[in-house]
Amino acid sequence: MTKYFVVKTTANQEKIVASLMAAGVKKRRINLYSILSPKEIKGYIIVEAESNEDIVNAIRGVPHIKGLVKGDVSFTEIEHFLKPKKAAEQIREGFKVEIISGPFKGELAVVKRVDESKNEITVELLEAVVPIPVTVKADNVRILEKTGEEEV
Amino acid sequence: MVEYACKKCRYITEEPTICKVCGSREFTKEWHGYVVVIDPEKSEIAKKLGIKYAGKYALIVS
Repeated sequence: MTKYFVVKTTANQEKIVASLMAAGVKKRRINLYSILSPKEIKGYIIVEAESNEDIVNAIRGVPHIKGLVKGDVSFTEIEHFLKPKKAAEQIREGFKVEIISGPFKGELAVVKRVDESKNEITVELLEAVVPIPVTVKADNVRILEKTGEEEV
Repeated sequence: MVEYACKKCRYITEEPTICKVCGSREFTKEWHGYVVVIDPEKSEIAKKLGIKYAGKYALIVS
């Protein structure tokens, strides 16, 4: 029976930690099966291993690891990370968003159109005098207000 | 060092020529989420994702 453990890492170093751990595991024959680094959680990785002992051995000496979260998590708790929705699927027309990357970084805007297949959204900047539609990647915005969304 | 993800099976590689897993030639630089599969036979995560070969994979490919 495999267990899932949460390992705390330095933020933005999750990928490096996962790669280093995987490399070490192969050499030392530790019963560790996979390492998951979801986009949604910064500074943590989820490790699938046989036992607590295996995980303790696997993290030993790996840089950027800050600790091991006590206890294990169930598969149902991590399942939603495995089938993540595209960013555009979570955005609807009328949402107020902040652009967090690119030339319009920091600007507030209202969503006018969503293209889920391209993962792009078209927005109108709130502070612009003339409303010009700007198309940006859905990953480059942060939802501020879910206005315009139909109430369930 | 840029890493590319195969658009079909999401396998991550640094050489976007031909995918070692599925043979696809379509790669993208825009991917998110990261999974390292060490033992695909014993890993429940690999089974859930339909991964049969060990390696690095992306969770979302756009």
